Amino acid sequence: MTNVHYDVDDDTIAVVEDTNLPRRLKDEVYETLEDRGDATVEDADELSKAVEARYMDTRVDPLDPVGTVSAQSIGEPGTQLTMNTFHYAGVAEIDVTQGLPRLIELVDARKTPDTPMMTVYLEDEYATEREKAHEVVWNLEATKILALGDVSTNVADMRVQISLNKDTLEERMITAEEVAEIIEDNLGVSTVQQGTEIQFGPEEPSYRDLLQLVEELRDITFKGIEEVSRVVIRREELDEGEQFVLYTEGSAFGDALEIEGVDASRTTCNNLHEIHRNLGIEAARETIIEETHNTLAEQGLDDVNVRHLMLVADMMTNRGEIESIGRHGISGSKQSVLARAAFEVTVNHLLNAAIHGEIDDLDGVTENVIVGKPIKLGTGDVDLRMGSTDSGGSQAD
Amino acid sequence: MQQERHNRYEKARILGARALQVSYGAPVLIETKQTEPILIAAEEYDAGVLPFTVKRGYDRK
Repeated sequence: MTNVHYDVDDDTIAVVEDTNLPRRLKDEVYETLEDRGDATVEDADELSKAVEARYMDTRVDPLDPVGTVSAQSIGEPGTQLTMNTFHYAGVAEIDVTQGLPRLIELVDARKTPDTPMMTVYLEDEYATEREKAHEVVWNLEATKILALGDVSTNVADMRVQISLNKDTLEERMITAEEVAEIIEDNLGVSTVQQGTEIQFGPEEPSYRDLLQLVEELRDITFKGIEEVSRVVIRREELDEGEQFVLYTEGSAFGDALEIEGVDASRTTCNNLHEIHRNLGIEAARETIIEETHNTLAEQGLDDVNVRHLMLVADMMTNRGEIESIGRHGISGSKQSVLARAAFEVTVNHLLNAAIHGEIDDLDGVTENVIVGKPIKLGTGDVDLRMGSTDSGGSQAD
Repeated sequence: MQQERHNRYEKARILGARALQVSYGAPVLIETKQTEPILIAAEEYDAGVLPFTVKRGYDRK
């Protein structure tokens, strides 16, 4: 017998385990019985029978058109989503794409979302001490030269002069020597560094080269992850207690997970493909469900049953990689010529099929609607035979 | 295969098939006051006298 972690007697366990319920519901029955304390075996039997009956009734019937129902159940609330992106609508003043554009982005499985972002959770003392949390921030946020000090161009001597701010250097844990070295590596010039002053210039005196160097200097990332342009730190009340959570504008999920102090088990990102690359297809599926649900919830439409979203996520991920829904993904890779022709660019599909001598097995719904046969769904897919195998048995409900 | 309770699609399909037979003049298998073929079929279904089998899953084809 499966071990049960609830304080109920063996007869009760036998009664509950005997039902056709899934684990989660059985546990919930145990929990209720445990809370009651004085429940007898008969009570337990009655309760589990009632739960089982309800459970059986709510299950989807075989032959149900679940995909169609999902499409409608997501499509209708979709008409109520905001059609334009509101800026600075997300948490902590970070601009996040919302509503319909975000939903489209998700089902299209775009390579990069319009507004990539990460939610970074921290480990141990990094999560509780502000100083420590800031350390992680500096390792995440891309630090450009303008954040470290002032840049001026001396046209007379053809030199670029940088005077670094000592406090900022210390705060961001980078030394003037390191800055000079990064400049040398990136621009291929030799620098003169003295204290917090750094100087360099083009090899040949040239006004254009000088300006070019300044331009390039501004783009160098001295510290942090290049893709992450901004990090917002927030103190939040979580299940684990009060913790610092970082929200980033821009994402580089793999790089972020490597950083010391980042809790890789909770940190997430809104780019499906980055999740897929770093954590695998199951995590990607989970993210699709989570993100679509959050997008709907943001607009007060979270009464859409998760099962519909789960079905969409399953369809998008069941080949082991993320596929979009639509022309380039699932609908475009359908087996049947007629089904594809019915979706888009009818003539091209039919012409190509004719040229290649394709065969249509008429397995799907669309094909059968086109040729006027009953579709393989609901009543249309019941295989009825005359004569009964076992006589006497009542067919009544 | 042990026949479970019919689901709504199977039930609809059975009633439809039987109602058609009745409307074409098949002998009715029970005593009934109904005159509509579909209602006669429903009563026959409830009485459990209809000789239909639904093939499901691996049993098919």
